[in-house]
Amino acid sequence: MSAPLLEVKHLKKYFDTPSGPLHAVDDITFTLNAGETLGVVGESGCGKSTLGRAILNLHPTTDGETWFEGELITGCSKARQKELRKEMQIIFQDPFSSLDPRMTVSQLIAEPLDIYKIYSNKADQEKKVDELMDTVGLAARLYNAYPHELDGGRRQRIGVARALALNPKFIVCDEPVSALDVSIQAQILNLMQDLQQERGIAYMFVTHNLSVVKHIANDIMVMYLGTMMEKSPAKELFSRTLHPYTQALLSAIPIPAIGQKRERILLKGELSSPINPKPGCRFAPRCPYATEVCLQKFPELEEIFPNHFVACHHVREVNGI
Amino acid sequence: MALLDIKNLTIYYETEDGVVKAVNGIDLQLEKGESLGLVGETGAGKTTTALGILGLIPNPPGKVKGGEIWFDGQDLLKTPEKEMRAIRGGKISMVFQDPMTALNPVHKVVDQIAEMVLLHNEGISKADAQVRALQMLEMVGIPADRANEYPHQFSGGMKQRVIIAIALACNPEMIIADEPTTALDVTIQAQVLDMIRGLRERLGTSLLMITHDLGVVAEICDKVAVIYGGEIMEYGTLEHIYNETAHPYTKGLFGSLPRLDLDVDRLTPIQGLTPDPTNLPAGCPFGPRCPQHTEACDVKPPYNEISPGHFVRCMLFNDQAINTAGKESEE
Repeated sequence: MSAPLLEVKHLKKYFDTPSGPLHAVDDITFTLNAGETLGVVGESGCGKSTLGRAILNLHPTTDGETWFEGELITGCSKARQKELRKEMQIIFQDPFSSLDPRMTVSQLIAEPLDIYKIYSNKADQEKKVDELMDTVGLAARLYNAYPHELDGGRRQRIGVARALALNPKFIVCDEPVSALDVSIQAQILNLMQDLQQERGIAYMFVTHNLSVVKHIANDIMVMYLGTMMEKSPAKELFSRTLHPYTQALLSAIPIPAIGQKRERILLKGELSSPINPKPGCRFAPRCPYATEVCLQKFPELEEIFPNHFVACHHVREVNGI
Repeated sequence: MALLDIKNLTIYYETEDGVVKAVNGIDLQLEKGESLGLVGETGAGKTTTALGILGLIPNPPGKVKGGEIWFDGQDLLKTPEKEMRAIRGGKISMVFQDPMTALNPVHKVVDQIAEMVLLHNEGISKADAQVRALQMLEMVGIPADRANEYPHQFSGGMKQRVIIAIALACNPEMIIADEPTTALDVTIQAQVLDMIRGLRERLGTSLLMITHDLGVVAEICDKVAVIYGGEIMEYGTLEHIYNETAHPYTKGLFGSLPRLDLDVDRLTPIQGLTPDPTNLPAGCPFGPRCPQHTEACDVKPPYNEISPGHFVRCMLFNDQAINTAGKESEE
């Protein structure tokens, strides 16, 4: 087996706040192979976006290591960092605020090419921009349009084109379809899948929408307040849901069909604060199965089935394993 | 007679860049105690319809161009503003999408609920209004000891509960909820939906639920109206819309959804983009994106009842109308 494209080891990112360190990402470990998709799901404040940014060194990390193609990239030099950006890109959530309103579509897509001086010849660069616009499905007549003239779906296509411009091997997709209407969302998801098949790009797909990751991901990681609760191959996560939080999360999603009576697990309360978290399982205060040990001791990640990891003291009793 | 009966409602926004035809001849009924989901994408005219019912269309640029909105035997479009102010919040309440901005940040939550009670109940004492406000908080599941806190001390889900408490404070006959759970996380959304369902069972309040989420509709509504380009494309019971889907647009919406309950390899999105409301197609608004588009679609399709209570605005079903007079003969 070849080495994974991306290896994240015990990554931590704390933010300093007046009331103490905020544990945004706490000890996350995973690997991602070329051409595959890892879906990272969780609710707001679970640290999923911070994780994506920390991997790209957009946030300096507190602790832990990120390896990319066998190279330790955590804390590498600025110059190396810039080189790495060619290989590792990001697509942002909000296509309304992530594009410079004073640049045209072609300028926006050409910007990465300009920065890295890929083409010495203007004509070649223009050709590449045309090609990228074609790839992401932007009509040629929009070449000189400004972002404000476009709807959300088209703007997000610009975001995709910018990320693709340098032929990266890995893209962090931070809620790329959340701001879009469903009919447009489906168009972008299909586009991203096609690009992955053609170019073998690996995605880390960060989203709160479990239906979307089920559709697009090979593996899914469920986060809660900065920690990994469960990680498993996508199909297995839905057919054999082990962690009480994942079970509750799945049962909470309204299904667009009728006549399917499902047992709903209603969680009590809301997210606790990630600032100075208590020892023990982060989910314990809301967990229907929590006992004394859950409040005292942090549960270690355990491989319950092949490639199916769960961090829960009571996973065996809860699931009758 | 239906509690709410909208007939041929048409609302335009007249702007410098042209006339935005937001709502184009909508017919909708909501029976007493029923909940109706109004489903559509951005710019379909969902919120404009809701604001139209409450007489809150900003004028200018908005203008109600025609139609009737019958509520409780009274045409709201002909009701004087003074009476409308009593109806808003009294008989019809609105729950807005964004709980972060819908509350006043400088007033305690209990006072914001009491304000509603004071406004709509002449002669009630402040103390009684406070008591009522506390009851409302308890009803939406907020402990009384948090009543004197300010909105910034509440999480999104709690704020939305407060807003629902305000909306219910005067026992309205109908609530219009505009994407009430869209801004919330799924586990919190589940709590709020559960609460709304419970309260409706207890109080019998009618609900007009505006949403883009077909999952939420399946959870909480009895009937569904699918809106596109300011027109109702399909209307019926949950059974009609989910299991006997007729309109190509509704089918397109279902095909676009990644599903938890089904395995789909590739989504089938709707081609193209939502129409520009300043320049709607002459015929069916969905025509240019419709996979089953024919020349017949260049004229406005009629709104046909294809089985009892199931209405479709599409040429494909033109010869399947069970009664040609359409909706009128239903009454």
